[in-house]
Amino acid sequence: MGSEFHDIDWQAARWIDRMSRPVQDAEMAAEFDRWILKDPRHVEAYARLSAIWQSERLHRALRDNGETIAASREPVASNDDDYRPGRAWRRAFTGRWAGLGVAALALVLGVVMAPRLLVEEAAFATPRGATRVVALSDGSTIRMNGATRIAVRITPWSRHVALEAGEAFFDVAHERLRGFSVDTGGASVSVLGTAFDVDRLDDDTHVVQVYRGLVSVDAGAGRQWRLPAGSGLEVSGERVRSLRGVTGQRPGWTKGWYEANDTPVLQLVQRLNRTSARPVALSDPALGELLVTGRFQTDRPADVLDAIAAIHDLSWREEGGAYVLSR
Amino acid sequence: MLSSIRDLEAQPGTAPRQDGWDAVQTAVQRYVRGRSGRHDIADDIAQETVARLVELGRTQQIGSVFALAFRIADNLLTDMHRRERRLSDEVDDEWQSEEPSMDRVLDSRRAVDVFNRCLRRMPPLRREVLIRRRLNQESCRSIGEDLAISAKAVEKHITRGMIDLRKALEQAGVDLVGQD
Repeated sequence: MGSEFHDIDWQAARWIDRMSRPVQDAEMAAEFDRWILKDPRHVEAYARLSAIWQSERLHRALRDNGETIAASREPVASNDDDYRPGRAWRRAFTGRWAGLGVAALALVLGVVMAPRLLVEEAAFATPRGATRVVALSDGSTIRMNGATRIAVRITPWSRHVALEAGEAFFDVAHERLRGFSVDTGGASVSVLGTAFDVDRLDDDTHVVQVYRGLVSVDAGAGRQWRLPAGSGLEVSGERVRSLRGVTGQRPGWTKGWYEANDTPVLQLVQRLNRTSARPVALSDPALGELLVTGRFQTDRPADVLDAIAAIHDLSWREEGGAYVLSR
Repeated sequence: MLSSIRDLEAQPGTAPRQDGWDAVQTAVQRYVRGRSGRHDIADDIAQETVARLVELGRTQQIGSVFALAFRIADNLLTDMHRRERRLSDEVDDEWQSEEPSMDRVLDSRRAVDVFNRCLRRMPPLRREVLIRRRLNQESCRSIGEDLAISAKAVEKHITRGMIDLRKALEQAGVDLVGQD
């Protein structure tokens, strides 16, 4: 009995280390579930070791011991530069895991959390041409457009999303004490219970549109706005344009169309590049400055290109797997 | 007719069926008891955890149901402890749960002494690995790179270190409650 318990503790310790990594692949996740189900003693061993591993006292003891070591330590690994057995192995490992990491990010794991107790962290990505709805543990939902990347961080006192690329529509669950903010790298949006769309067109140009509630936008350097439902804002470097006539429950792209209103062709192309299976390119950057107005069905890129071509007397062709718009 | 109603609720292929959720709930109860030593709140936390899991499972794919369940339970436990501490601060010092709590056990002076002694006696490499992993949250790979050992070896040191700590507590007679 004693040695069997001993084995279980070893397995539990290994699982605690594995499950506290930021990303686990599907196979490992399934293996963990099987291990837990196999024997009730597995859960108990896992729980007890978790209590030790996560305890605040252990944290402090490690910190105190770390300080004494740092104070008394000789420089580490100064004489083993020519013999490092880890190196070759490490190279192989890096390549394999880099690939796995991407795969896991794209398809497997909904919720990934940091080993810290209270913090819930997750990253989501969509490929070009696909949308995805993400439900957060607080009841908020995020609808991601194609070619979009977000990182979510939820703590007991804050809710934060970094929009790293692309566009997303946020329907935020109202909480009295805990705010919700979206950071686009240039502007940051804070809200109470609302629904709004944030579009990171490129590094410079960010568009916010509000469908419900009240949103505050901070573009740095003391530039702040409060946007009520029905309004929006386009921040492009130093330039700011306010948008009106934001109507409906949610943005058109969630239903597969886009409403352009004196919109530069470049912006329309950037949006097409999220929904189209093939990339869309301009043969001449100057074409991007032409303006278009109208309702475009972005999930049918060929039709949209036909329309733009007709408006400005242009032409388009398929070339090397891409659509190219030219004069 | 009841079975057909249940079928509508179930998400074939993604979420476990009802009996699957029962297994999750039982495991979470055990986890909470072992993790916190609190038998009084294990049922409530397990129920709430499963409710949140079901909700999450409707809209997204869950990697490991149990890993997610235990983390949700961890968060709920922490919330509950914080609330109780606030309450007992406000009301009076006497007001406390009669249940033995793992956190209280691990919070004792004795546990701290055991941790310190155990860490001091450990091989320095293992201690260094534990500090980097638990305190600085470095990955096994980067720890291995810095210390010129394989990630497998790093993993072994961590596992070994946890067992060392667990044994040290046991030998010192610090009672790990929640053993059924």
